[in-house]
Amino acid sequence: MITAEALVKRYGTKVAVDSIDFSVRPGQVTGFLGPNGAGKSTTMRMIVGLDRPTAGRVEVNGRPYHEHRAPLREVGVLLDAKAAHEGRSAYKHLLSIAATHGIGAKRVREVIGLAGLDSVAGKRVGGFSLGMGQRLGIATALLGDPATIILDEPVNGLDPEGVRWVRTLMRSLAAEGRTVLLSSHLMSEMAQTADRLIVIGRGRILADGAIGDVISGATRSTTRVRTRETERLMATIAAPGVVVSLLADGAIEITGLTAEQVAVAASAAGIVLHEVASVSGSLEEAYIALTAGEVEYQSSNIAQTGAVR
Amino acid sequence: MSTLETRYTHVAPDHDRLSFARVMRSEFIKITSLRSTVGLLLAIVVLGMGTSIVLGLTVKDAGLPGASSVGFMLDQVTIGTVLFGQLIAGVLGVLVISAEYSSGTIQTTLIAVPSRLAVLFAKAIVLFLTVTAAAAVALFGSWAVTYPMLATYGLEIGLTAPGVVLALVGGAVYVGFAAVLGLGIGTLLRAVAAGVATVISVILLLPIILSVIPASDVVRSIHLLSMSKAGDALTNTADGTAFSDLADGYVSPAAGFVVAAAWALAFLVIGAVRLRKKDA
Repeated sequence: MITAEALVKRYGTKVAVDSIDFSVRPGQVTGFLGPNGAGKSTTMRMIVGLDRPTAGRVEVNGRPYHEHRAPLREVGVLLDAKAAHEGRSAYKHLLSIAATHGIGAKRVREVIGLAGLDSVAGKRVGGFSLGMGQRLGIATALLGDPATIILDEPVNGLDPEGVRWVRTLMRSLAAEGRTVLLSSHLMSEMAQTADRLIVIGRGRILADGAIGDVISGATRSTTRVRTRETERLMATIAAPGVVVSLLADGAIEITGLTAEQVAVAASAAGIVLHEVASVSGSLEEAYIALTAGEVEYQSSNIAQTGAVR
Repeated sequence: MSTLETRYTHVAPDHDRLSFARVMRSEFIKITSLRSTVGLLLAIVVLGMGTSIVLGLTVKDAGLPGASSVGFMLDQVTIGTVLFGQLIAGVLGVLVISAEYSSGTIQTTLIAVPSRLAVLFAKAIVLFLTVTAAAAVALFGSWAVTYPMLATYGLEIGLTAPGVVLALVGGAVYVGFAAVLGLGIGTLLRAVAAGVATVISVILLLPIILSVIPASDVVRSIHLLSMSKAGDALTNTADGTAFSDLADGYVSPAAGFVVAAAWALAFLVIGAVRLRKKDA
């Protein structure tokens, strides 16, 4: 359980996190989304006491992080995949962290196995790929068998097998009743892994809720219909609030009516439909809609950049 | 709360909690698991003893004193370890903390141990003990290898002679303090290159600069109270009963100990203030 109340972080005059309140609950995977510079990492760093909040408070499992007597047993954290000295072996790196809590070599070997690093445990971290670094970071997070797990971009650099491993791991940790907070820019991955979402932009919370609610709140679901009698159908269903648009492939997209309503109306008018489908928005669409205008570093228009060259 | 939310009830067992001794153990694992840090510890021994061997082999050409003296023997034995050792130790002290910043390990460290002062003090103690131990090996080793060489000319001095053991231990402790000084500077600056440059400046350059400034009583006193002068004092035997006599240019081993400790602790405290206040 993570609880933030009126959490603020300012760097000079720049506000990185602007008085946010949220809670991350046990038993679920909570996705933490936002553009670069939105305040995700700063918030995660404040949760574990690396950065001090300018105002407000944030607690993990009922206490500020630094008040825990066994922090590694409370929270497992991956913030930066390469947060290990290049010259140290993965095993010694983990052993040095475990030693602070009296966690033994047996558990170190266990998490190395869990992360699939057995064959490289004795090798120096400097030679690790980004994916191996991520695995080492996740192994570090799991060392203390913590009740809360916070992972910043854990699938970055992982191969498809690794991505799948992280997804399964997060799901099973949440199923055990642990609190899982996960940030990622990979929307499809987030859609498959998270139960809840917190979307942040320019230091403010843009959306916070169950993943389905966040998507439906930020996108319109439409009904897609295909028929030979397009014009008659359009006349039949015409009503205030109903918007119909013709798609390039000959199908029509209807906003304001459910698939069921369209089918009933068509049937009453004797119109044969070849295809009726409700199309809901994707997480990616919801994310883009939510964060439009909140993006700190927006790419310039592609056509323009092309013209310059 | 629903049953789902309370299903994972966990209690951290007593044997899995943070303690200062465990943080020290963690720091010991860190310092002994890098080639760079282990290499620097070995360098203190190799350069310290190597210098003494060269001095012992060339002692005749350098001019033999009329009679055996503790002071002459100590010069042959301690100069390499103190001169090179203080710089190597200072660099090692800088590395122990600044490499954590450059590699990002500091995040992992502070997440495991949220009390920043505990991290710094554990580092300081482990560093002091390992460096002092390495310097002690270098100094007693130097005494042992030069003993037969000096004996050729009847200049050998045993460990039982007054002040010898104290001077050797004092030299080792001085090198340990130089490492803590480096740790303080490294914590303050967080960057390897800047830290190394600063630690060398404080140990080596400061006395040189002071010696070219027109001599006044103040400059002379500062010179006598500099870090490297404390190293000289610690590796000599007490001369009379005075603690120190700045007018006469005398600093006793005990005063040297106080001065070296003060330099090391001053920088450690400045580093500690920065570590506590700033975001990691």
